[in-house]
Amino acid sequence: MPKPEDDLSDRVVRNYNNDEEEEDLYEQTDDIEEEDAEEDEDEDEDLESQKAKLRNRFQNFFRRIQNESLPIRVHDVVIKGNTKTKDSLIEAETASLKDASTIQELFAASNDVNFRLQALEIFDSVKITLDSGPPELPGTANVIVDVVETRSPLLGEIGVFNKGEVSSSTLEGTLKYKNIFGYGDLWDGSLAYDYDHKAEVSAGVFLPRFKGLLTPVTARIFLQSQDCLKFSSFKERSLGFCLGLFSTRNHDLAYNLAWRTLTDPSRMASSSVRRQLGHDLLSSLKYTFKIDSRNSPLRPTRGFAFVSTTQVGGLAPDSRSLRFLRQELDLRCAIPLGFYRSALNLGISAGVVFPWGSGFSSMPSPLPERFFLGGNLSPVCTLGGPTSLWGFRTKGLGPTELRRQLRSNPANENTDSGRDYLGGDLALAAFADFSFDFPSKWLSAKGIHGHVFASAGNVDKLTENAYRNFSLRKFTESFRSSAGVGVVIPTNLFRMELNYCYILKKFGEDRGKSGFRVSFASPS
Amino acid sequence: MQESLEGAEYTLVARKPSFGLPTGCPICLPVYTYLKLANLPFHLAFNNTFPDSDQIPYIESGTYVAYNDENGGVIERLKEDGIVDLDADFCSLPEWISMKAMVSTWLADAVMYELWVGSDGSSARAVYYSDLPWLIGKALFMKQVYIVKQRFGITKENAERKEAEIYKRAKIAYGALSTTLGDQTFLFERPSSLDSYLLGHVLFILQALPESSVLRSALLEHGNLMRYAEKLKPDFLEAGSSSSVPQFHSEASSTSTRRPSNSSSKTKTQPKREKTEEEKTFRRRAKYFLVTQVVAVLVFLSVMGGYDFSEVEVDDDEGFGYD
Repeated sequence: MPKPEDDLSDRVVRNYNNDEEEEDLYEQTDDIEEEDAEEDEDEDEDLESQKAKLRNRFQNFFRRIQNESLPIRVHDVVIKGNTKTKDSLIEAETASLKDASTIQELFAASNDVNFRLQALEIFDSVKITLDSGPPELPGTANVIVDVVETRSPLLGEIGVFNKGEVSSSTLEGTLKYKNIFGYGDLWDGSLAYDYDHKAEVSAGVFLPRFKGLLTPVTARIFLQSQDCLKFSSFKERSLGFCLGLFSTRNHDLAYNLAWRTLTDPSRMASSSVRRQLGHDLLSSLKYTFKIDSRNSPLRPTRGFAFVSTTQVGGLAPDSRSLRFLRQELDLRCAIPLGFYRSALNLGISAGVVFPWGSGFSSMPSPLPERFFLGGNLSPVCTLGGPTSLWGFRTKGLGPTELRRQLRSNPANENTDSGRDYLGGDLALAAFADFSFDFPSKWLSAKGIHGHVFASAGNVDKLTENAYRNFSLRKFTESFRSSAGVGVVIPTNLFRMELNYCYILKKFGEDRGKSGFRVSFASPS
Repeated sequence: MQESLEGAEYTLVARKPSFGLPTGCPICLPVYTYLKLANLPFHLAFNNTFPDSDQIPYIESGTYVAYNDENGGVIERLKEDGIVDLDADFCSLPEWISMKAMVSTWLADAVMYELWVGSDGSSARAVYYSDLPWLIGKALFMKQVYIVKQRFGITKENAERKEAEIYKRAKIAYGALSTTLGDQTFLFERPSSLDSYLLGHVLFILQALPESSVLRSALLEHGNLMRYAEKLKPDFLEAGSSSSVPQFHSEASSTSTRRPSNSSSKTKTQPKREKTEEEKTFRRRAKYFLVTQVVAVLVFLSVMGGYDFSEVEVDDDEGFGYD
């Protein structure tokens, strides 16, 4: 009997004339194949059954997670991958993992920790693995936190932001150096310029965990310069230091110490502005409470926002520092209307500033702290007190005063620069904005939409005993108002509006004119 | 313009009163005495937060302002604008001109040196920085001392020589003025701006500088100068005078000591040249054009890059704040 391993083709050739032998050979081969096939089938069945068992186990597990509370205890948190970053920093950020008592809580805590570590901006990646604990300790898990530290600690950014030191959106370029000392410290130097002709050079540090404090601490020094010559005949320069003491999603507390100088290089300032020129020490504490549940910062269609900012100046042992109280309130509400992604946005902003100290009722408020309405910011997105009013130019409404007139050129009365806009101690502004998509898929895909709006606002003086003559009726009767339509073009950096504004009511020397206007806003 | 200023109320904005003087600043005091000598009614206001401004003292009336760093000073500006001119009869006299030059250079330099460098600085601090926070006052004082030294070219090597030179000139000036004055009431027949400068100078030296001051000692050698000041002081400087009512503004601006700044003392005599309407329109249009171009580029890059307007569900349960 020929061996199975013999070459079958040879046997066929050798046994070309022996059909019976050939048939035997094939019968034996078939037997062997049948045995192999049976073994393979058994193996396949085992593999399939194993897969099915595993699938069932996972399904049961996930069903149990969804429906039951599975107790677990975190035995150990293992940190891997950090060479420069201190263990203490990562341990502080991962402390919440050990508090998890169920698998569901562990998943949520892991998600949270992953986000916190990513938010430090010092890691390229963060991976959290949940592993079973030691076999001798059932019901335990080990959490392995694997981080990859960023290879390039230097980072450059440019964008449009809202920052605490400036009152409106800024175009800012920043250079950051990360994690020099391994404490998650972020050092940055930045240049910023905003729409109010304000320029700032600053340097700062961000410490996520400073001396066991739960919230990050920021510190920055800045040199700021603002040119208000065109509107109010003064230039402001500030050299100062800002310390962020406490910052959460809803609360922010910062201390500001600055040497501020007001000058008038044009020599054309009005009497009220001339009185304010000089040096001041600003030592203030600023507290901001913010709730923002709107679904989008650039095109809110649902939700509301509330911001309250309180600033107290004069917190210094030296009684000669600038003493004032300033309060701002913002309320925004977005109501979806259900067609073409339309929404009605309503908003109201109010602000008041008053000096404090002996003789405060007869003292003027500091000129840079006053409220000025007008400009090219869109009130829909801007949260920062009463600043915007469609259709009116920057600082274009409110109390004014004649500037200096030169004997050599007395015909300056008719020029636009003949008056200084002094702002107000009390300001109130409100708006209503109806936004809607255009019936074009391309425009909708790009987010370009239309809006119809109306706004009203007013500023008035309260200081230097003017509050005695203040009348709510007169204040409301002298409200300025405007309305219009426009197209909103959102971009990655900011929101741009091309509007036609119609001035419904203006007074005195207000600089407002019906016509086409461009407004901007950045997420705040 | 002269007609519109007649009957107007004038306000002199100066630095705060100190050392028993209506204003403690040696640059503001001559302007004060000039207005008094001219019998021009005015109010007095103060700026206590701008010690390094060259514009102070200044006179204002409505929209009219005469700054000290324009057209040779406030007194010259008042003359040019026809408001008050005490020098009409004297300004062509060579003796008057030379006296004026001596007072406004040698004596002015001597006061400045004594105030900032020659003494311990306590007088300067009292006049200029007492209403400023300590930190700012200290920084501005050091800056002013540096500027004064730069102006006089004082270095460690030549400090003594420069000091001797300044005091020598002051003594020469005192001698000449004492000789010219004699026993007269005024330097010339009638009061002039020269009297206002001299009176202000003498009063400041006597009342504001410490007794150890070299300048003060030099002045005390000329008895008639002191009698001159003592005689005029009750008539022209006392607060009971009906022609002026001191008004204290709590936010009184910072005064401007005549700091010999590099840029302001020589060149800042006129406001910036008025641009023609065409230039203004061109600049405005150019600015709008550039801004439009930049915005168009940004919009193109951003819109073509797309903006994800998918609604972000804000789930409070997954809040990642530091609460």
